[in-house]
Amino acid sequence: MSARSQLLQDGGKVRHTSSPRAAGISPARETLLVWGLQALILAACLLLWEIAAQKGWISTFLFASPSMIFEVLSRQLASGQLFNDVRVTTMETVLGFIVGGVGGSLIGLVLWYSPLVARLTRPFIAAVGSIPVLAVAPLIIIWFGTDITSKIVIVAFSCVVVSLMSSYSGAQQVDQDEINLMRSFGATRNQIFLKVVVPSSMTWVISGLKLNIGFALIGAIVGEYISSDSGVGHSILVGSANFAIDTVLAGLLVVMILVTCFNAIVRVLERWMLPWKYA
Amino acid sequence: MQAKLEARNISHSYTSNRNVSEVLRDLNFHADENEFISFVGPSGCGKSTLFNIIAGLLPPTAGGVCIQGETSTGKPHPSLGYVLQKDLLLPWRTIIDNVILGLEVRGVDRKAAVERARPLFDDYNLSGRENDYPSALSGGMRQRAALMRTLVMNPEILLMDEAYKALDYPLKIALESELLETVRRLRKTVIFVTHDIEEAVTLSDRVYVMKARPGEIIKEIKIDLGVESTDVQERRMAPAFNDYYQLIWKSIAEQSLPAKTRKVA
Repeated sequence: MSARSQLLQDGGKVRHTSSPRAAGISPARETLLVWGLQALILAACLLLWEIAAQKGWISTFLFASPSMIFEVLSRQLASGQLFNDVRVTTMETVLGFIVGGVGGSLIGLVLWYSPLVARLTRPFIAAVGSIPVLAVAPLIIIWFGTDITSKIVIVAFSCVVVSLMSSYSGAQQVDQDEINLMRSFGATRNQIFLKVVVPSSMTWVISGLKLNIGFALIGAIVGEYISSDSGVGHSILVGSANFAIDTVLAGLLVVMILVTCFNAIVRVLERWMLPWKYA
Repeated sequence: MQAKLEARNISHSYTSNRNVSEVLRDLNFHADENEFISFVGPSGCGKSTLFNIIAGLLPPTAGGVCIQGETSTGKPHPSLGYVLQKDLLLPWRTIIDNVILGLEVRGVDRKAAVERARPLFDDYNLSGRENDYPSALSGGMRQRAALMRTLVMNPEILLMDEAYKALDYPLKIALESELLETVRRLRKTVIFVTHDIEEAVTLSDRVYVMKARPGEIIKEIKIDLGVESTDVQERRMAPAFNDYYQLIWKSIAEQSLPAKTRKVA
C-alpha cells in the first residue's frame, strides 16, 4: 500500500469514528473555533446587558451592569480588598479540604483493615453525612469562634463523609485475586494495604476529592455568610445587605473563577497521582 | 523418591444457609520433580477450588497438601508459584515493578531485584518494555510478564490455571511451547488445571481426569507422545496424540452423558 493511500484510509477512519464534523477541519482547529464562538456568545450577552442598562430598559438597581461590576472589581483590587477576600476564602477552602478530604480518605482506606469496625461505624458515619452543612454551621461557629478556624472546620465537615465513603468503597472493591497473589508471595497485611489496597483505591479517592473541592468552597462561603469579617462570602453578604447588587455580582464572578481554578488544580493532582491512567 | 507435591484425601464443601454443596471428594494426587501434570475435567469439577487448595489460599474441609515433605495446607508455600488466566498485573505499576513485586514483598532491594529480573526480559522478548504500564502491552506480552513475575521468585513448582485460555490460537501455541521449553530447562514441576483436553495431552507427562459434581479423580493417565520436541504443534501431530485425546474424552463423556439422560428422563 502506498503512503498516500494509507493516509487516505486513515483519514477516512478518523471521519467515521468521530462525531459529525465539517470536512477539512482538524480537531485542533475545531476546538479553537468552538472557543472563539463561546467567547463571542459571552461578549454578545454582556454587550446586550450593558446596552439594556445604559438605555434604562432594565433597572441598574436590581441588575447592575457589566461596567458597574468591573468598576467594583477594580476598586476592590486597588484597595487590596479583593486580594484579601480571595486569600481568606482560598485558605479556608484549601485547609478545610486538606483536613476533611484527605483525612476522610485516609480513614476510609484504613477501615479496610477491620470489616467489623467498618460495620459498627457505618450508621454513625451515614448519620453525620446526612446533616446539611448549613444546619450545623451555626453550632460550629459557636464552638470554634468567628475566625478562620471555624470556617476550616465547616469546610472539613462538608468534605469528610463523601471522601470517607468514596475511599472506603474503593478499598472494598479491590480484586481478591490481587490480594491472594500478594498472600502467595508471603505479604503481610500492611504490605497488602500499602502495595495493593491504597493504589487500587486511588481512582476512588480522587473522584471523592473532585466532588469535594466544590463542597469545600460551598462550606467556606456558608461559614462566611454566618459570621465573618472578610472573604468573598463576606463581601457578597455585605453587598446584599446594602442592596449593592454590583458588589454581589462581582463576588459571584470571583466565586466562579475560584471554582474553575480549584477544579483545574485537582485535575493536575489527578494526573500526578494516577500517572498510569494518562500514560 | 519423595514427591515434590503430594495431596491426600482432599475433600471440600461450601456451606451457605443450611445448604452444603460438596465440591471435591477424596482427591489423592502427587507431582514429582521435573514432572508436568494436568487436571482436566468438565466445568463444575471444582477446578478453581482445587487450584486455591493447592496454592494454599484455601484450607480444604478435609485432607492435606505437602510440598517437599512440609505441610502446606491452607498457607502459601514459598516454593510454589502460580499463574492465572487473569494476568493480575497491577495497572499502576510499570512492567518491571510488576515483575519484581514478589521480590519486593520479600524485602529484596530494588536494585538487586531488577538485576534478577533482567535476564527474563531478554528470554521473553520484553526488553525495552520495562517502563511501560501494563495497559500498553498486548495480551500475550501481559501473560508473559505474569509468568516472569512468578519465575523470578524461582519457585520449584508452577501451578497454572487456564493461563492461556484468553489468547488466540497461534499465540496460545507459542506461549505453551515457550512454557514447556522453560520448565524443562529449569527442571520445574508443573501442575496445570484446564478444561482443554488438547492442551493437557500436548503438555503433560501425566493427566488426572476429573468428573463434576462433586469433583473426583476418575482416571490417571501417563502420557508418552514419543516426541522429545517442546514445540507444541509438533507434539500435537504425534500419532499417539489422538489415542490419548480419545481416551480422555471418553472417560469424561461417560461420566457426564448418563447424568444428562437422567435429567431428561
